Amino acid sequence: MNEELKTRVQELIDTMINPAVAGHGGFVELIDVQDNRVYLQMGGGCQGCGAADITLKSGIERLIKEEIPEVAEVLDTTDHASGQNPYYTPGKA
Amino acid sequence: MPTTASRLLLLLPTRTYRTEAFIAAATRLGVELVCASERPSTLEELSPNSLVTLDFADPYGSAETIVRFARSRPIDAVVGVDDLTTVTAAAISQRLGLKANALPAVTTARDKHAMRRCLAEAGVPVPRFQLVELSDDPARAAQKVEYPCVLKPLMLSASRGVIRANDPREFVAAFERIAAILAEPDAARRALLVEEFVPGREIALEGLLVGGSLHVLAIFDKPDPLDGPFFEETIYVTPSRLPAATQARVVAVTRDACSALGLTEGPIHAELRVNERGPFVLEVAARSIGGLCARTLTFGTGLSLEDLILCHALGRPLESLERERRAAGVMMIPIPRAGCLVSVSGVEEARAVGAVEDVVITMHPGQEVIPLPEGWQYLGFIFARAETPAAVEGALREAHARLRFDIA
Repeated sequence: MNEELKTRVQELIDTMINPAVAGHGGFVELIDVQDNRVYLQMGGGCQGCGAADITLKSGIERLIKEEIPEVAEVLDTTDHASGQNPYYTPGKA
Repeated sequence: MPTTASRLLLLLPTRTYRTEAFIAAATRLGVELVCASERPSTLEELSPNSLVTLDFADPYGSAETIVRFARSRPIDAVVGVDDLTTVTAAAISQRLGLKANALPAVTTARDKHAMRRCLAEAGVPVPRFQLVELSDDPARAAQKVEYPCVLKPLMLSASRGVIRANDPREFVAAFERIAAILAEPDAARRALLVEEFVPGREIALEGLLVGGSLHVLAIFDKPDPLDGPFFEETIYVTPSRLPAATQARVVAVTRDACSALGLTEGPIHAELRVNERGPFVLEVAARSIGGLCARTLTFGTGLSLEDLILCHALGRPLESLERERRAAGVMMIPIPRAGCLVSVSGVEEARAVGAVEDVVITMHPGQEVIPLPEGWQYLGFIFARAETPAAVEGALREAHARLRFDIA
């Protein structure tokens, strides 16, 4: 089951998510799927980006759940503090 | 926690520090989020039900956009997380008929001159002030003010562009420096507020307005002197060590200020100066504390400030507005000089200081770092919690001393 889910999530990442986030120099990597939870890592412009949580929760998670309703949650395992080139660096707005 | 499905519109500037905390709170509360930013998300076309682009400089246009959006996807509440979004949040709420601050109240609070004038007319103690247009001759304007004075832009935050002047020569230099900041394309209105420098201790009050009643969530002391020439905020510690009677005066004056402005709902962040003449209101913003500083605040059984703000906006019961018993504090790590951040070391040593909970570096190697008055970012944040405010302050200072920033 996990393997099948993993394959479907990977396909979604390859065909829809990564082509979109590439616009900001970012990419998303599937780390694992366990108990219907998807574990991702964000890299490039997404790593350390001030808007990474928006991308993850309102973009990636929504998209994955719409396409694959069995997915319960999408979790970010990225070490954002180590981001070398985040697209948006946070500041006081 | 109630988990009734609700849809909440969160206005998140792309560069705000506040995104993670608000999204985490929404997730905990089971809220369906729609996130709006001023620049398009890379995934907006794929997730049009949850990602929206709004021009925060155009509150009425943004409201129209959301009215159209909400026809098929009703919005139950709107929360703006930073100064940039407060007016737009009020405009959208007004158009959708949601409980929120009145638009004129938020608009007045957003403009430092309009706010000062409103408060002064209502008898709320504020520094003496005047407006100077950037088209005015600075040398002539310098002859018309009392010294020492403070020059500040009308709409920037984080003490950006706030400069003390002790004489006409310093006034002209400060004027020109701020004019350069305001010449940037994204800067605010091209005028300055010039106000009396009020000596004394500076404090911040974090509150939540519910139906016009101000609930004080925390009063923070700022133990580092803020006497200029720039006003870099560093340490915030709560509870305040000011005498109880002084704190009561601070609360009363802040309550009067909210009332004068017409603010009735949601978070407020007030900054005041306190001296032997009493408290003076420097500003009341219709938003919560900025940066990552809200991490210092925990309520009831572990609620975050963002939990409270979202619950209030959605009309859900507020479990508790009582801050935890322990003292807590944060240091916004200042930028010592301009340059390029090469590396940061000593983070683990800083985290090892007793009472320090975390050290978060928010700038990355290779990034240009700009100190005040031009800058608008911090190197990072240090958080501490202990039995007393003094212990918290000591831990923050010790942790900071262990950090080393290589800036080339």
